Amino acid sequence: MIRVDINKCTGCKKCETICAFFRSGKINHRLARIKVLNLYEIGVDGPVACIQCKEQYCLCCPDDAIRIGSLGQLIVSPTSCSLCSACEKACPIGAIDIFNDFVYVCDLCGGKPRCVGVCTEGAISFEPEVKEHLSLAAFKKETKKMNPSQKRQYYLKKISSEVRKRWRHQNA
Amino acid sequence: MRSYGYGGNILRIDLTERKYSVEDLSPSWIRPVIGGRAANTKRLYEELDTDCDPLGPDNILIFGIGPLTGSLLTASAYYTVTAKSPLTGILGDSAAGGQFGAEMKLTGFDQVIITGKADTLIYLMITDSGVEFVDCPEYSGKIIIEVTDAIRQEQNDYAIQIAAVGPAGENLVLFSSIVSSGNRVNGRAGMGAVMGSKNLKAVAVRGSCSLDVADPLAFLSEVEKIDKAILSHSEYQKRYQLGTTMLMKDLNNIGILPTRHFQQGVCEYVDEISGQKLANTYKVKNKSCFNCNVHCSRYYVVDDQEAEGPEFETLCSFTSRLGSSDLPFALEMNRYLNQVGMDSISTSEVIGWIMECQEKGLIHPDDLDGLSLSWGEKEKIREVVDMIAFRRGIGDRLANGAKKLSEEFSEEARKLVMHVKGLDVICGDPRGIKAYGLTYAIASRGADHLRAEPYFELTNRKKEAKKRFGTEKAADRLSEEGKAALVSYSEKIALLTDSLTMCKNVGLCMDVLNFENASSLLRYGTGIDYSPDYLKKILADLINLDHKLNKKFGVKRKDDTLPERFQKEPLTEGPTKGSTVDIQKMVKEYYEIHNWEE
Repeated sequence: MIRVDINKCTGCKKCETICAFFRSGKINHRLARIKVLNLYEIGVDGPVACIQCKEQYCLCCPDDAIRIGSLGQLIVSPTSCSLCSACEKACPIGAIDIFNDFVYVCDLCGGKPRCVGVCTEGAISFEPEVKEHLSLAAFKKETKKMNPSQKRQYYLKKISSEVRKRWRHQNA
Repeated sequence: MRSYGYGGNILRIDLTERKYSVEDLSPSWIRPVIGGRAANTKRLYEELDTDCDPLGPDNILIFGIGPLTGSLLTASAYYTVTAKSPLTGILGDSAAGGQFGAEMKLTGFDQVIITGKADTLIYLMITDSGVEFVDCPEYSGKIIIEVTDAIRQEQNDYAIQIAAVGPAGENLVLFSSIVSSGNRVNGRAGMGAVMGSKNLKAVAVRGSCSLDVADPLAFLSEVEKIDKAILSHSEYQKRYQLGTTMLMKDLNNIGILPTRHFQQGVCEYVDEISGQKLANTYKVKNKSCFNCNVHCSRYYVVDDQEAEGPEFETLCSFTSRLGSSDLPFALEMNRYLNQVGMDSISTSEVIGWIMECQEKGLIHPDDLDGLSLSWGEKEKIREVVDMIAFRRGIGDRLANGAKKLSEEFSEEARKLVMHVKGLDVICGDPRGIKAYGLTYAIASRGADHLRAEPYFELTNRKKEAKKRFGTEKAADRLSEEGKAALVSYSEKIALLTDSLTMCKNVGLCMDVLNFENASSLLRYGTGIDYSPDYLKKILADLINLDHKLNKKFGVKRKDDTLPERFQKEPLTEGPTKGSTVDIQKMVKEYYEIHNWEE
């Protein structure tokens, strides 16, 4: 999975830009599978991508279009997918985004994620083997009625509270 | 109509009628202006009634980006806002980085041209499908970060980027700013007041069009060369750690750090207010504009205060320039100014000028409703800044800027305003950086370094100076020799970076952009042929255009000068001791190079 260290992210969006570029030849963050948010009001920047959660909510797909690959990544079959958006709704953190009839979710570039290579800050790293899958059950309830963008904002804000505490502690 | 690089569309918005229209970007119109600042100036030249009231509905407010904005090109994040300046009455523009420009690109609009005046406070929600005019009287008086957050919440979308004005813009403070991405500021020349005069609280952008480049792999390979040059640059580590705040010590070391309103060039307590001190004590992380490798900005936390910034200009403006040694106070002012939306340089100038005039007995407190100010008095500074932002009490007069305020006072006091063409001088004493002095004098928006950013004169590259500008002296900061040639070269590169909308710290100061690689970037990016010679020709034409436009505004040759202090009063201590600027000599040479009439 893609591991994120929010403390190190400066919000440059290189990961997001390069993700879209290498997968589509275009520059457009709507086509990225990793989404960076700049939360100006709290000074937090950070990418959100599939964290391979314990619950695997997206497997609720009624078309059986999603399977889990050998690295734990999601693989969406565009031929089976009917764009019903069940997976997008099911993901508690907005890591799945449907845009222009396509499902955008991180598939680890098949094992060599491009985003990791361009991050000069070490804010994202690749973990081929995930020992402990994190639970997103707590988010599932809270973000139920949100759109993917709102979910990402909520998630990032929540997981950054520790970092923000540390900032205060560090400068106290 | 979409084409490579460009969005391909021009958006025109009439706030009075609440109507908008979309035009094709004409290829023959855009080719000789490239984009960004130059395209905005051309638009203003063609469409503005130069006699209009800058705060009236006829003024034209333009948001512009370039063909490579938001592309893979490093630091290509800038957007430029242009209008007739209410502060100076001449060409006004101001650029900012952050994320706004890159998002604007995805809307498919290369220029947004705003005229008229809304009947109530509104914001514009611009997407690729059009414009929504959203009434927002409830945002009146709200600070910028709150507006940014509120619009994102209202639109249920956190990828929206917003450029907004604060209370200062709404109150028509003549040096108010527009702020986007939390802390990226279109600070100079009062663009915030123009927005405020149109009852426009914010411009929000969210796009979904893709940016296609003509030859992606060739473009990427040019970008990689530039990235390599940046990452291996001798200043990279320093810029990464300190960003522009490195200049506090760097300028102090050469005796040109404005101290007590340019009375000194050396600040005895620089270590207490330096970029190093800020980084070691209050910085919690680096911040970056869109797609940049340098990550030169910073986020800081001081007690219950936190914000991004400050850049060098703000840091110096609210420390040494006002005789204050209190770093946390400067950080507080940085946040405050970016929330109410006010240019730190001009705000500092009006305060510093009063401080010096009162110290010298040229202005009595009774002349200013009892206001008395002396060096480093932070409670008073805090209070007066607030009065300016809300045009309260004496703040109402100060909000017109130092030059206009000085017109009520004696000639001796007027001479002490550090401005050129009504725009306040930035933080850098030209007596020790002569090419910068020339730049302040000739810059088309008034005293400003960014029109040329002749950083070369500080690099001590004598051989290179001889080769490029015919004399080793071009690399000697204290000499006037070769500086007209240096400025004439670097103003073209500066305009090129502004048109590609690249950051000057990267493109110019780190010397990574030149006519050759810009030509390749443009060719692979847009598919349009731009030879280095053609670039030089059109950039020269565009510099002439700035000059022509300002002539229409009534600017004369005699306005291309510096405040008397820099020409006649030498600094009395430090490494720039004894130096003054022979500005007339340099301007004369500069005019000769440009074939302009004296």
